[in-house]
Amino acid sequence: MSVPNSDDDVTTAVNERVTNRGFGRILVALYAIMAIGATTRSLFAIATKFNQAPLAYSLSAFAALVYIIATVTLARGDATSRRIATVSISIELIGVLVVGALSLIDPGAFQKASVWSWFGLEYLLLPLALPILGLWWLRHTRPSEEAVEV
Amino acid sequence: MTGLFANLIMGVAVALAVWAAVLAAANKRITRSLLIGAAVLEVMLLAYLIGGVVQMIGTDRSFAKFEFLAYLVGLLIIPPLGIAWAWDEKSRSGVAVVAVVFLVVPIMVVRVQQVWAGVGA
Repeated sequence: MSVPNSDDDVTTAVNERVTNRGFGRILVALYAIMAIGATTRSLFAIATKFNQAPLAYSLSAFAALVYIIATVTLARGDATSRRIATVSISIELIGVLVVGALSLIDPGAFQKASVWSWFGLEYLLLPLALPILGLWWLRHTRPSEEAVEV
Repeated sequence: MTGLFANLIMGVAVALAVWAAVLAAANKRITRSLLIGAAVLEVMLLAYLIGGVVQMIGTDRSFAKFEFLAYLVGLLIIPPLGIAWAWDEKSRSGVAVVAVVFLVVPIMVVRVQQVWAGVGA
């Protein structure tokens, strides 16, 4: 229902309404990179040294899952994907803000660094930038019918 | 795994990233010469993987070997995947994706070196 109408025949107009074209191409690539990086690192950490910092490594694995969902849903870009992306990226934003703040207030809380520690400084602050850009992009490409949502 | 060849890979990757960024700034799409550059980098990354495996077999030091291999294989796979994802994008974002992907290469080479040296992650 939120797929652009076929009478929207101007290419640029259509492109503005999809999440996987234009700037969305870069956004999906960045999410994919974070998904690959966080998934492999957390899997290795959980497999080899989970007991050293169960909370931090579980959080990283959770972050990895969120990145995978964001990558897939933004790349697909249909109505259902947009809804899932909006929810999961909102959770991602809350996660990086809470974990980032906690890691500054109480550096010992997580024993080891998680992806979201220090707002993702280890990943060049990409974990902080991505959800902000992601939510902005979802809003920017929002089909007019869905204007009420979020 | 450290040394001249690794530095050369990082230098080539950064140069290609700058080149792709310049193309993006000029509102261009992926060019044939950029692809040739990417192919050269890919050959270097293949040699890096082979060299890494040979050195890994040749040492009895203990380090995170699976992680080491994952990074080396990832290095080989990520640039082509990025270019494929960028390929049919009509706007300048396509070549910008290529710039991002090339920038990931030096970061991953540094991680390969850290894992090789046994620096914990």
